[in-house]
Amino acid sequence: MTSGLLWLTPLLPLAVGLAMLLVRDRRVLTALDLVGSLTVLGLTLAIAGRVVRGGPVSALGVFRADHLTVLFLLLIGLLAVAVSVATVGWMRQELARGQMRAERLRYYYALVHGFVATMLVTVLADNLGILWIAMEGTTITSALLVGFHGDKHGLEAAWKYIIVTTIGISFGLFGTVLVYGAAAHAQGGVLAGAMNWSSIVAIAPRLDPGIIRIGFIFVMVGYGTKAGLAPVHMWLPDAHSQAPTPVSALLSGALIKCALFGIIRFHTIARAACGPQFSQGLLLTFGLVSVVVATPFILAQYDLKRLLGYSSVEHVGIIALGLGFGGRLGTYGALLHVINHGVTKALVFLVAGDAIGRYGTRDMRVIRGLLGIAPMAGTLLLMGVFALAGTPPFSIFISELMVIRAGIAAGRYVILAVFLCMVVTIFAGFIHRVGQMVFGTADASVGREPEARLPMLGLLLLVAAMLLFGVYLPAGLDRVLAHATEIIVG
Amino acid sequence: MSVALATRLIDVLGALLLFSTLLILASGQLFRAIYAVAVQSVFLAIAGAVLGAATGNPDLWVIAGITIIVKAVLLPWLLIWVVRRIQISREIEPVIPINATLALAAGIVVLAFRLSASLGPVRQAITGNALPVGIAVILLGVLVMASRRKALVQMVGLFATENGIFFTAMAVSQGMPLIIEIGIILDVVLGALVMGILVLRVRSSVDTDIADLENLRG
Repeated sequence: MTSGLLWLTPLLPLAVGLAMLLVRDRRVLTALDLVGSLTVLGLTLAIAGRVVRGGPVSALGVFRADHLTVLFLLLIGLLAVAVSVATVGWMRQELARGQMRAERLRYYYALVHGFVATMLVTVLADNLGILWIAMEGTTITSALLVGFHGDKHGLEAAWKYIIVTTIGISFGLFGTVLVYGAAAHAQGGVLAGAMNWSSIVAIAPRLDPGIIRIGFIFVMVGYGTKAGLAPVHMWLPDAHSQAPTPVSALLSGALIKCALFGIIRFHTIARAACGPQFSQGLLLTFGLVSVVVATPFILAQYDLKRLLGYSSVEHVGIIALGLGFGGRLGTYGALLHVINHGVTKALVFLVAGDAIGRYGTRDMRVIRGLLGIAPMAGTLLLMGVFALAGTPPFSIFISELMVIRAGIAAGRYVILAVFLCMVVTIFAGFIHRVGQMVFGTADASVGREPEARLPMLGLLLLVAAMLLFGVYLPAGLDRVLAHATEIIVG
Repeated sequence: MSVALATRLIDVLGALLLFSTLLILASGQLFRAIYAVAVQSVFLAIAGAVLGAATGNPDLWVIAGITIIVKAVLLPWLLIWVVRRIQISREIEPVIPINATLALAAGIVVLAFRLSASLGPVRQAITGNALPVGIAVILLGVLVMASRRKALVQMVGLFATENGIFFTAMAVSQGMPLIIEIGIILDVVLGALVMGILVLRVRSSVDTDIADLENLRG
C-alpha cells in the first residue's frame, strides 16, 4: 500500500499531463490543472504522514521516501498548488495581452504537469541512476517551457539553459558512475541494489576515498550547474527571467532545490567515505562564490525578473554555506532555508509577474506606484522582498540566522565576514529598487483593472507559510527537519 | 575471451575513441564533425561488445546494439537532417583557432592520465585505461562546446562527452544496470530532439544560429 503511494505520486501528474493533451477547452484545462496539483499535494502529505509515523518507506529499491525526501516533496506539492491557483489569473492576463495563444494552452499545461512529475521522481529516487535520469527529464520539460513563447529572447534563454545544464549534469552522471564503481568494488562485485543510495551509504565508510573525492567533485560541478551555484550559474538569470512567470516560480522555487537534493545525497556518501572536511569545504567554496558573484549583478539590475534570478543564485549559495558550515545547526538551517526560499521566491515571482503584466515592462525604472493601482500585489511584493532580503519576522531571517550561528560555531570568521557584507549590500540594493517600484504614482497608461480574488488565494497560501515559519515552526515540520538533519550529519 | 585480451582491446578502443574526439576538434567542416562522432559511437559499441564477451554479461550486448542504432545512426542522421533543412554554411567558425584548441586538448589528455594514475586501488574495478580515457573524452567534449559557436557543433560536443561517460560506465565492474542505461539513452535522444526543435524555431524566425544570439546579458 505504502509503496503503491510512492509509484502513484509521480505517475498521477504524468497521467494528468497526458490527459490534458486531449482537452481543448480552457475551463476544463484550468480545472484539471487545479485538481492535479491538489492531488499532488494530497499524495505528498500522505507520504509525509507515513514517513513521520513509520520511518522511511521504499518501493522495490527504485523509490524511497525518508525524512529528507518528505521535506522536498512537501515543497514541490505546496508550490504546485500555489502556482496552479495563481496561473488562473496570470493566464487571463496573458491571453488578454495576446502573449499566449489559446490553441497552444494544452501543451503548456501538459508540460507543467510533466515537469512537476519529473521533479517528484528526482526526490523520490533511491537509485542514483534514476535520480540522474529524472534530473535530465526536468531539463527537457522545462527547457520547452522556458522557450514556450517562442520569441527570440525566450529561445536564446532556452538554448543556453538546455545546453549548459545538459553538459553540466553529464558531469553529474560521470560522478555517479565513479561512486557506483567504488561501491561495486567495495562489495566485490555487482549485487542487487548496488546503485541505490541507501545501500551505498550503508557501506560508505569502506569506499575508496580517492575515487569518491573525484566523484564528488564531478557531482558538485554537475548538479551544481543545475542548482545555479556560481561560477556555473550563467544560464540561470536568463532562463528564470525569460520563462513564463508560473514556470519561473517553479524553476526558482522547486527545481534548483531538487538539484541541491542530489548534491545532498552524494554529500552524505562523501562525508562517510572521506570525512566531512572535504565535501563541506567544496560546498563552502561554491556557496561563498555564489553569494559574492550575485551581489554586483543584483545591484546593477534593472530587469525585475533577472534581479530575482540573481537573488536565487545568492540564496542557493546561502544553502550551500549552511551545509558547508555543517554541524546540526548549519544543516538544519540549510534545510529550513530550502523551504523558506522556495516559498518566498515563488511568491515574489508570481507577484512580479502580475506587476509586469500591468505595466507591460520588466524595467524597474518604469514600474512606479504599484501600491496605488494594485494594493494587494503591492503589499505582497513589498513583504516578499523584505523577506528575501532577510528581515524579521519573515521565515528567511530565521534560517539565515541559523546558518550564521553555525558559521560562528565552526569558527569560519573570514567567510562569515564576507558573507555578511554581501548580504547587507544586497539588502540595501533590493529595498532601494523595490521601494521605487511600489511607491509613487503610476502613469495613466497602466492597466488598472481590479485584482482578481481567486488567484490571490494561491499567493496568500505562500504568504501564510512565509509568515508562519518566521514566528513558529510546527512540531511536525520540526521533527521532519531534525530527522533529515540526522540523515545528513549522522 | 580472456581478461587480459579484453583489457588490451579496451585500451586500443580507448585510443581510437580519443583519436576520434580529436578529429571532431580538428574538423573545420560541420559534416566531418558529425561523421567523426558517428564513428566514435561505433568504437563505443565495439567496446560494449568486447566487454560483454569478456564478462559474459548479456546486458552489455544489448547496450552495444542500442548504441549502434541510436548514437551511430539515429542522432547523426538527425543532425544531418537539421543541417540540410536550415541550409547554414557548413564551415565551423571556431572562437579559438583550431591549432590552439588542439594544443589545449593535448594538455587535457595528459592531465586526465596523470589524475587517474594517482588513484591506486580503484583502478582494478575499472577495465584497462577506461577511466583516464573517459575523463579525457568528457573534457574534450566540453572543449568542443566551449570553442565553437555553432549550435550543431555544440550538440556534437555533447554527444562526444556522453560517449566518454558511457565508455567508463561500461568498464566499471559489469556496467550499470540495463534499465538505467536505457533510461539515460532515452534522455539523450529526447534532449537532442528538443535541441533540434529550438534550433529550427530560431532559424525560422530570425535567420541566425541559436548559439549566436547574444541579447541576454548582465
